[in-house]
Amino acid sequence: MDIWEGTEPRPEVERFCDMWGIKGPILLDPDGELAGTLGVRGVPTNVVVDSDGTIRAFGAARLDELEHAINELYGRT
Amino acid sequence: MAATDERDDAAFPVGAACRIDSRSPWRQIAEIPVGLDPEGIAVDVERRRAFVACSRSDFVSVVDLDGHEVVAEIPTGAEPIDIGLDEQTGRVFTADAHSDQVTIIDSATLEVETALPVGGYPSGLTHVPDFRRLYVGNSLGSTMSVIDLDTLETVATVDAEPGAGAIGVDPTRRLAICVNFVAASANFYDADSFEQVGRLELGTGTCAIGIVPERGEAFIVNSIAGTVSRVDLDAIEVVEEIRTGQAPVGLTVAPAHDRVYVTNRGAGSVSVLGVADGVEWSQIPVGNGPGGVVVDQHDGRILVANAGSQTLSIVEDLLAARPPAPVDEPTSPWIGRKLPEFGLEDYWTGGQRTNRDWSEKKYILNFFASW
Repeated sequence: MDIWEGTEPRPEVERFCDMWGIKGPILLDPDGELAGTLGVRGVPTNVVVDSDGTIRAFGAARLDELEHAINELYGRT
Repeated sequence: MAATDERDDAAFPVGAACRIDSRSPWRQIAEIPVGLDPEGIAVDVERRRAFVACSRSDFVSVVDLDGHEVVAEIPTGAEPIDIGLDEQTGRVFTADAHSDQVTIIDSATLEVETALPVGGYPSGLTHVPDFRRLYVGNSLGSTMSVIDLDTLETVATVDAEPGAGAIGVDPTRRLAICVNFVAASANFYDADSFEQVGRLELGTGTCAIGIVPERGEAFIVNSIAGTVSRVDLDAIEVVEEIRTGQAPVGLTVAPAHDRVYVTNRGAGSVSVLGVADGVEWSQIPVGNGPGGVVVDQHDGRILVANAGSQTLSIVEDLLAARPPAPVDEPTSPWIGRKLPEFGLEDYWTGGQRTNRDWSEKKYILNFFASW
């Protein structure tokens, strides 16, 4: 979910994906509308969503936090 | 003045020796729109101006610190990231990453004086008035350029490592320390001979440094690891890892040297870390995606460049000392609630994607920006 580029996002996203080898789905939210709704204050912010659409974790910028959130999502903790 | 948000607490007088048990041990003074993707900040204390390097706008926004408004925009090379001001010569220096140069601006006339070539993708700089030296970290060049502040000659180009950027200097030990983002390391040099005298492996995404010479310590930010490393400068070893808020990227040492301020790009806040105890005393909310941070020596206020909001925050830290209660990181009220409906453009296909595309699946929305 690309947000807050402040300029035309496509060339910036292209450069970013090339640099980091990103191939997964990327959605453009140039005005940060969804980010604003959810109260996202910075990047990266990870929002972990369960199969019924419920948000299970929010933030989780550190790798250990993200791993913990994923483990909880799959009931592995 | 734009978007001033005064959150003064009547029971919490502003100034020195404040109470430390307030719910809000900080005060927001102003949030001022500047150019795109603001990163580095330098303060002209005498003229009450802040220079903000706006990397996506290719200019420096000049902010009147009394009027809280932009009074000039000075064009630079491409992608100015870091910035410094030498009070003795009145020169402002910007590290223009995509131009492989340092632009030099006259802080009195606000005119560009000249530009100096440096290594590939300069992304950090530090000037040391006593040494009359400007140190520049060149990320793609994996080098550190050393420039004479008076003659503007490059006196040395020293090998560093991939992602060389932020540089700290300990004037007591005459050490220059280059922090390497990609290599997750720091190189230690004799500031006179430029010979490497040490090297440290650090956390992932090392990107900022502050020095407390009287303690013989450096504080180095590891953005991806989400920590600040406390480094013993005599032993050249990490002695402590301090947790901060989400995705720390910027750091500056408070004038009293009793705390450091760390910007949390992932949390939209500034962590106040105690130098002696290594404890997070508070988190001060600022704009979205904060990065560069400095303290205005005139009044002790904290200036923060917010890359997400495209603003400069001015805030006050009202803590007199370590508070009795630890910081509670706020939990999102969205946890346990349904993700709201959205429909957004797919970068790869140009089509619309909605929640329904991932219905009955477990997934992660990663909010990111390319800066």
